[in-house]
Formats: sequence, C-alpha cells, structure tokens
Amino acid sequence: MNHLSSETFKENARAALADVQLRGALKNATSLFGERRKEAAASLPNWEDLRTHARAIKDEVLLHLDRYLEEFVRNAESRGAAVHWARDAAEANSIVCGLATERNAHIVVKSKSMTTEETHLNDALEAAGMQVVETDLGEYIIQLANEPPSHIIAPAIHKTRQQIGELFTAELGMPPTDNVDQMTSTARAKLRDRFAAADVGISGVNFAIAETGTIVIVENEGNIRLTTSLPRTHIAVMGIEKVIPRFADLDVFLKLLPRSGTGQRLTTYQSFITGTKRASSDEGPEEMHIVLLDNGRSRMLAHPVTRQSLACIRCGACLNACPVYQQVGGHAYGSVYPGPIGAVITPQLMGIQKAAQLPYASSLCGACREVCPVKIDIPRLLLHLRGEISPRKGSWAERLAFKMWARVMTSPSLYKLSSVAGRILQRVMPISRAWTNGRDLRPIESKSFHDLWSNE
Amino acid sequence: MSNSARESILGSIRTHLAASPAPDVEEHQAPLKIPVSKSDPIKQFKESVESVSGHCTITTDAADVLKQILTDLKAERIAHSDNPPNAHDIFGYDVGISTAQAAIAETGTLVLDSACERHRLVSLVPPVHIAIINASSIVETLSDALTLLQKKEISPAITFITGPSRTADIELTLAIGVHGPQELYVIVDGSK
Amino acid sequence: MKVSLFVTCLVDQMWTSIGVSSVAVLRRVGCEVEFDKRQTCCAQPAFNTGYLDEARLVARRFISIFEESKADAIVSPSGSCTAMVHHYPQLFADDSKWLPRAHAIAAKTHELSSFLVRVLKKEDVGASWNGRLTWHDACHGLRDLNIKSEPRRLIRNVRGAEFVELDHADSCCGFGGTFSVKYPEISVAILDQKIDAIERADVQAVVSGDASCLMQIGGRLSRKGSKVRVMHLAELLNESSQQ
Repeated sequence: MNHLSSETFKENARAALADVQLRGALKNATSLFGERRKEAAASLPNWEDLRTHARAIKDEVLLHLDRYLEEFVRNAESRGAAVHWARDAAEANSIVCGLATERNAHIVVKSKSMTTEETHLNDALEAAGMQVVETDLGEYIIQLANEPPSHIIAPAIHKTRQQIGELFTAELGMPPTDNVDQMTSTARAKLRDRFAAADVGISGVNFAIAETGTIVIVENEGNIRLTTSLPRTHIAVMGIEKVIPRFADLDVFLKLLPRSGTGQRLTTYQSFITGTKRASSDEGPEEMHIVLLDNGRSRMLAHPVTRQSLACIRCGACLNACPVYQQVGGHAYGSVYPGPIGAVITPQLMGIQKAAQLPYASSLCGACREVCPVKIDIPRLLLHLRGEISPRKGSWAERLAFKMWARVMTSPSLYKLSSVAGRILQRVMPISRAWTNGRDLRPIESKSFHDLWSNE
Repeated sequence: MSNSARESILGSIRTHLAASPAPDVEEHQAPLKIPVSKSDPIKQFKESVESVSGHCTITTDAADVLKQILTDLKAERIAHSDNPPNAHDIFGYDVGISTAQAAIAETGTLVLDSACERHRLVSLVPPVHIAIINASSIVETLSDALTLLQKKEISPAITFITGPSRTADIELTLAIGVHGPQELYVIVDGSK
Repeated sequence: MKVSLFVTCLVDQMWTSIGVSSVAVLRRVGCEVEFDKRQTCCAQPAFNTGYLDEARLVARRFISIFEESKADAIVSPSGSCTAMVHHYPQLFADDSKWLPRAHAIAAKTHELSSFLVRVLKKEDVGASWNGRLTWHDACHGLRDLNIKSEPRRLIRNVRGAEFVELDHADSCCGFGGTFSVKYPEISVAILDQKIDAIERADVQAVVSGDASCLMQIGGRLSRKGSKVRVMHLAELLNESSQQ
C-alpha cells in the first residue's frame, strides 16, 4: 500500500488542495458530521458536565495506569481471556501472527481498528500467508482501493459515491450504479461467507473496564458482532490507554462517544465481552486473546500536557471541526491518526523526526478543543510540541530570525530602527511570496503609532 | 517472554509517571443527573425504537402479534434463541426470534444477556430480528441498565441493540441493513 | 478610569488608525489614556512558533514596563495579543520570581470590546456609520477570552449600521501567525471559505477585533477586486455622522 509520509505533509497538502473531488467530499462530510454532533450535544443539557466528568475519569486512570491495567488483566484472565503485552508494533504483529499461525488460520476477518492500522497488522498477516478481510464497510472500501484510512471513524469519507460505485464494479463485478443501498447490499453479500469461513476474528476495543475485565466495542453495522461471535478465536487489540476504571463509568462515555462521532444517541450495537463462554455449548468463540499495545504511549505519561493525549476516545470530532483537515483531508497527514489529534499523537508515537511538520500545520484556532468530548487542549499540546521541535530542528535562518527578533523587541531604539528598515525593505525587496501569492500585503505605515503619539 | 514485555511496559508506565510534575487534578463532582421525564417509559421506548427505524408494538397478546408479523413477512425458516441453529446453518434463516432481558426507554435499546439466552447469532445473522420483551423490564436510562447488569457477575457476552443495522460510510448517506438485520421488530408484552 | 494602551506591534507598524481610533473611543467614554513608549510586542510570534526562551525575554520586558503603570487597566485592540498576555503565567509556570508578576499583569489586561462592555458597562459609544456590515469572530478572542456578545452589542448600537450575522462567523480565517506563510496554500484555502461567506452576506464591510485577521481577510478581498471594506471594531466605533 502506498502510504503518504508525514514527512512530506506540505507536498501532500498541496496535492490534496488541487483535488476538486476530494475537497467536495470533505466539505460535505465534515459539515454534516459537524452539524449532527452539534445537535446531539445540544440535546443534552448537562453536556459540559459530562465532558468534565469524562476527563476527570481519564485523568484518574492515566495517573494510575499501571494499577488499572493490572486490575483489568487480572479480571479478564480470571474470566478466561489470555492477555498478551506488546511493547511496540512489531511485537503486537508478531503475537497476533503467531496466534493465527499456531491455529492454522487461513482466513482472518477484521473489524475496524485504528490500533491495528497503526501497527500495519494486515501487512504482517498477509506476509504470514493469511487472507485478511476487512469487514467494516469503510475499511472494506479502502482495502479494495488499496488505500489507508483518511478519517478515524469513517475511513472512506474522502471518496464520492461515484468513485465507490466504480470501485465495486471494477473489483466486485457489481452492475454500475451510484445507489448507496445497492452498494451496501453488494458488500453485505460479498462479506457474508467470509464471516462463516473465518478461523480468526480480530477486533479493536473502545473501552476496557478494569473493574470487570470487560471489553466494550461499539458499531453500527454488525460486523464487529459477527467478527467476535463466529470465528473460533477472537483476538482484541487495544492501546493501553483504553482502560477505564468502573463499569458504571460507561454511562458517561457511551453518552459522549456516539454523539461526538456521528451525532447518534447510541450506535446500533454495543458488545460487552468478558472473557470466554462458560459452557462449551454456549455461543461464541472458544478462546479470547487480548493484546495490550504500548508503542510509545507510556512515554506520554511523563508530562501533564502530553498525558492528556491518552485521554482520546477516538471520536473524530476534532477532525471534522478543524479548518486544516476540512481542506486537505486525512491522507495528507501521512498517518493513521490525522487531523488535530493526529498532529499531536503521531509525532509522539512515531517520533518527532518522522512527523516534525505536523504540529505546525495548524492555525491554533481552537475549534478542536471546543468539540473534544474529553477536553483535550490540543492547541496547548501543539505549542508544547513546537517548543520541543523549533529550538532544535527549526532552520538556522528561522532560529536566527527569532534571536534577532527578541533583540529588536527588547530594545526601543532597535525597535524604532527596525520599523524604518522594514519600510525600506518592503519597498525594495520582493515581499515573501508565500503571502503575496494569494493576498495583497498592506504596506508598513510611513509613521508608526509611536511616531504619531510623539506628535500629540 | 510475555512476562518481560509486561514488566517492561508496567515499568515504563511507572517511570514516566514518576517523572511527571505533580498533576493538577481537580476535585470534581459527578454530573448532575438530568431529571427523568414524566412520560410513560413504555411509550417513550416505543417512540425511541421507531426513531431509529425499528418497529414496535405494545400488546397484551404477544403471541398473536408475533404470528401476524411472521405471516406478513412470509417467513419460512425461523430461528429461535432457545434452540439456535449452528453458526454454519444460521445464514440460511429468514427470521431470528429472541427475547430481551431489559430495555432502555430513552434510547429504544434492547439488552440481551448471553447468560440468560443464546441471542448472539439469532439476533444478528438472519435479515429480520424479532424481540419480545416484558413491559416491566423496560428501564428509563442507560445508567439504569448498566446498574441492572452489575447486580450479578457480568455475563460473558452482553449486547445492546438499538434499531436495525446501518452504515453511513458512503458519503454519510444512511443505509439500513448492513451486516446485522435489516429489520427489527420489538413486541412489548404489556401483560407482564 | 485611567487606561494604559497596549497598541501591539502590528497596529503600531501597519495599521495605526486602529490605535488612533482606540484612543479616541476610550477618551470619548471618559477614560484617561496613557501610552508607554517603551512598549514593543507581547511575544506571541515567538511563543506560537515554539521559541519559548525568546518569548520569555520579550514577555519579561512587557511585564516590567506595564507593571510600573499606575493605570487601572491595560487595554489592547487585539484579542490574540490580550490572550497572549493571559498566557504569561503558563510561560513562567516554573519561575517563582516571574509567575506572580505574570499573573498580576494578565489580570489587568483587557481586550478593547471586553473592556468597554464588561468593565465600563458601555454598549453605546455614540458611533454612527451607514451601511450593511458583518462581524468575524477572531479565534483567540472568541475561544481564549470568550468574547462573543460584546462586539455584537457594541455594533448594534452604531446608528445607521445594518448588522448581518456572517455564516460560520466563528470559523478561522486561516491566518494563524506564521502558519499563514508556512502553509500559505492551506491558509488561503481556509480563507476562501470565509470570503465566500462574506460575499454571500452581501455587505459593505467586515468588522473584526484583530488586525491580523483583517490583514488576512482584507488582503484576499482586495486581491479579488472586492469592494468590501475591512474595518477594526475600534475604527467602526470611532465613526460618526460628522465624518
């Protein structure tokens, strides 16, 4: 699969801006998502209290993450789940591939899991000789198109129905149509027998309850239920930050997540899975495995500002609200996690050197912070990351410029001189084309306000 | 092997937390509960189910309503949760019938508990799902349902169902009936 | 009421009429206005670009100058610069010497419309201007300082002005400081959404509380040959039927 790289965000964005179809699709999707979220939030008079409460619960968990993880594992294991720990992506993939191979698995069905996208699990499974079938409609579409997801909750949102129709005709032999119901029926029919034939079902996890060892997964389509009920083996992959303390805490998170993500009061299905079945005659998989993934998450605990990154419940609301994402879409970020949350967790998970542009790809408008159900202060995080990157990685010209700027701004005489210099420079030098390519530039005034005040 | 990964991750968590400056975690109160509406929960439940494209009938003769639905659907192969077909065969069935152990009025949600009933495939695979619930088992809120579930040890698999299956993955256009059932009928037995 | 004007480096260099208008309006509502000529910048450009040491150098200077003032309040015609000053405690969080001084200055610094409406309780400053106009909510003023109703109340009291609410008035104009030149194409793409909304509103002027937004919006409007004028709130409030 051709992934765009985070290191070329600027070029990626430029290409995205030239893609008229993409921009149309993004405009429709983000405004619809935004309107639905807004209405859903407005329908709950205690919305702000819920946000505060959810954030408080997350803060509590993160401050004692080791304890809550151990509690979760203890309870899950006592109910029959096998728990595996993965320090990084490679280890997670190795564990999952190992489990599948040991069981002679040929077909693996998957439900949407950003965590498994993060580790590139599908590539690893295919390299190990398995057929991987994405069953979430959006994931199925991008799998057919051989593309990465462009949105955390609606992976194919960058595609128009016409493009999807053409894709289905080409890859699945569907009679040409752009009727959404027909496309959906086609996908349903094609995927039905995969569920029945699958040896292993792999899912993500929305919430892992420490108190009971339960994993909670939410969906609309039903593919998660099929993935986690039919195959003999269920493997759930989760980031270590998915833990919440108590079963009762689900109330606030199940109120916030669907409304923030899609504007729904509740998604169609919530699955609460605790360990394995009691009697062998019961329905469900014979065995259950949970893979806990670190991959850089524990590092984020070291500072309160970065720790809040781990509060994210993957609703996607910040993407829809972000003026940058609205224009360039998810692929430009070159990461499984695009948009505002992606701009802050990608450098932290993948390493700053791989994603140094992302924290700067923001006007700091704060719309993301406004819509985040767990009140992550993303602009603050962006500034924190810029503070880590600029002094070390900023171009020498930029670092020098700011050193000079500080000199000028702390000396009234230099400041006065600089405005004179600025006036001359603006006349003789081509002003930053970066500005003037699209916008006229106001000339520096011949008399500054300081000058005018002196004349009073 | 797995133990060293476990110790490594837990160790990393502890080290990084220890390095963190004292957090400014504020004392917080749980959010005020919204006063529950005075409307009849059964009526509210029906409205909620219908708002998510489900069908809901309140009756004192559930058996009769069920018979009528099956006749209207011209259903031939009917799966029951008290004796569900196996995972292979169930794909050939037209209708799945189950009960539900509770229901949530504010959202129109059915609560199905695997410890009480083998609902997992019957309520998922056939294109039509019919659920029969007792009116007395309808609770008002999500929070009430969660509390109910904790009165005993959590079952291995609990499923919340709110309407028929759906997606909005194509241009955010709603399409009903994806992998789960395309139709959901809820029969509320008012005699119980 | 004695007010010390923080005019901002942008207004000082590139849009003096905002400063002149701010002084005029403050005087009209009965304030005595002082201007400390030693002032330069609030440090926002360095802070936003990640050069925190340089930001602190400039912030310390700001604090030192303004804490000498005997004025009751420091007032600025910029939401973003005021928000920057309110962030000084964050900048000096680990500095026990400067932190209390940062808090003190932040508490005293107000954005113009917020000062007029919340502190002076004035919503009518006697202005008049004929025409249709709309308001753009500058991001920092809106989200950091909660300035939303205050400018609208002031505008509605301008005699002769027909106020039209802009579609997505609270959407970013795309400036974002150095973002506007680091990612110019994205900046302009975001800006064009704002321009489209302004054109749909069919107004003669767009008003805002931040010179940076006005430069961004005005620069694109003039490039597109638009007749729509951009005005700072202070300039609008300084308009009278005599002019």
